Amino acid sequence: MGALATLGDMFRILRHVFRQIFTRPFTYFYPFEDRYYPERTRGRHIHIRENCTGCGQCVRACPTVAIRIDKSDRKYEKDAALYFDYTRCIFCGLCVQACRFNALFHTKVVDISEGEREDLLYGPDKITTLDREPLEWRGRRFR
Amino acid sequence: MTGTPRPDILDETVEVWFGPQHVSAHGWAAKLTLVGDYIVECDPHAGYFHRSAEKCLEFRTFRQGSLILERLCMLEAFLAEYPYVAAVEQIAGLEVPERARVMRTIMMEASRIHSLQFWWGQFAAELGLFTMLLWPWVDREFFLDAFEELTGSRHAVSYNTPGGVKYDFTEKSVRLLERAIERLEEHLPKFRDMVLRSPTFKMRTQGVGQFTAEQGIKWGLSGPNIKACGIPMDLRKDDPDPNLAYDMVDWEVPVTESMEHPGESDAYDRMVQRFKEIETSVDIIRQLLPQVPEGPIVDPKARAKANRLPEGEAYGRVEGTRGITTLWLKTTEKAQTPYRAKIRGPCFASYYALKHLVPGSRFADFIVMFGSLDPYPGWWDR
Repeated sequence: MGALATLGDMFRILRHVFRQIFTRPFTYFYPFEDRYYPERTRGRHIHIRENCTGCGQCVRACPTVAIRIDKSDRKYEKDAALYFDYTRCIFCGLCVQACRFNALFHTKVVDISEGEREDLLYGPDKITTLDREPLEWRGRRFR
Repeated sequence: MTGTPRPDILDETVEVWFGPQHVSAHGWAAKLTLVGDYIVECDPHAGYFHRSAEKCLEFRTFRQGSLILERLCMLEAFLAEYPYVAAVEQIAGLEVPERARVMRTIMMEASRIHSLQFWWGQFAAELGLFTMLLWPWVDREFFLDAFEELTGSRHAVSYNTPGGVKYDFTEKSVRLLERAIERLEEHLPKFRDMVLRSPTFKMRTQGVGQFTAEQGIKWGLSGPNIKACGIPMDLRKDDPDPNLAYDMVDWEVPVTESMEHPGESDAYDRMVQRFKEIETSVDIIRQLLPQVPEGPIVDPKARAKANRLPEGEAYGRVEGTRGITTLWLKTTEKAQTPYRAKIRGPCFASYYALKHLVPGSRFADFIVMFGSLDPYPGWWDR
């Protein structure tokens, strides 16, 4: 009886082992393959200057003073340039809620790490677009 | 004949700092005086986590203030930000829509489950049972996925706002929450048996950190630590908040009464109690999910009313995972920021209870006592 039980245990272990071999790994191969991000992900912002009126409500709503506005830098009739300091931003979403002209949104991009601290200060050229330099690592380009 | 005098045992004491570098001591340190393996004095120190949150609140508007509260205790973020929001609602006279009431309650209970799962894994790891660290944390990920789907962030949710909630339930976020609860219900009995019937766990926890209900109340403990002594002290039942939907649910306050030592609790009883808390929370969520009414999620006048508050003062209270959490808010006329906000976290009491609880026990039992009271540094360093 004991031998049968041991045999049963062995088969159970073997079954488990084979199941683990043929299933997909639980981990992600990160830089090349990313996890799923939901629609509401509070990642880095995007500023749509066509809709902006330069009212500055996002600057007022920010609890960490991460946004700076330059009203003299105009591209359209009454917009303004926004400077986001991602060393200060806590991604609380208050600026996006404060904007009533659909000019400021969160995006799904959350990997904003940079080599230099100054690169995290997103000026009007970086905050208005999602394009960015592809990252090179050991001769391979990704992102 | 005079021999050498017998040494006084207290002359041979050793002082040991438990923390702040210790892996279990994340933001706290206790000075222990040892004689041999026995602790004769315990001196808990606060302040390693201090970032002057109360002062920071005086420089934040009423919509921004809850962000600081949720950062005090990320594990119960939905619960932690609620006292501030409740106090602002009381002063501003905001009415919370029915849908927001129910959604708030559901997410607060989900947050309680998630926090207890974290604690349970961490407590097991402090005892050296590292398997129990990882398995509940895998289940916890499912709750975090639901939070992320709903609010866009895993931990710093910023969900409650004066007058309602910020994000509406979507079909997918409800489905993810249900999936997390189903997984928890499937695994909870198995894990509970694995922990509570484990001889190692019993030997480490039974009879350790035992105190009576009277002592607990004298030290100012609340929440599961008191309920484990057999006293049904629960703010959800005793003083129901009109802006939370606990009146729509049929539930009982979970209480643990030990057979061996009635009216007292040890570390084992507190573990049993916290499993019961999880079951109660699951029950509340299960009853509330089909009852979510249609309607707006935020008072339409909230934005204008919370911008400038009239003069007044209010208490916001919530039964947190670790005990009663309150916030006292005082505002001046047409104030944009609070005049003073005083946070009363539940864990200052449970941390300083160690001072009375620990002396006389062995050194290895110290972390069991600390873990079983479930203190979180953010609540005493505010």
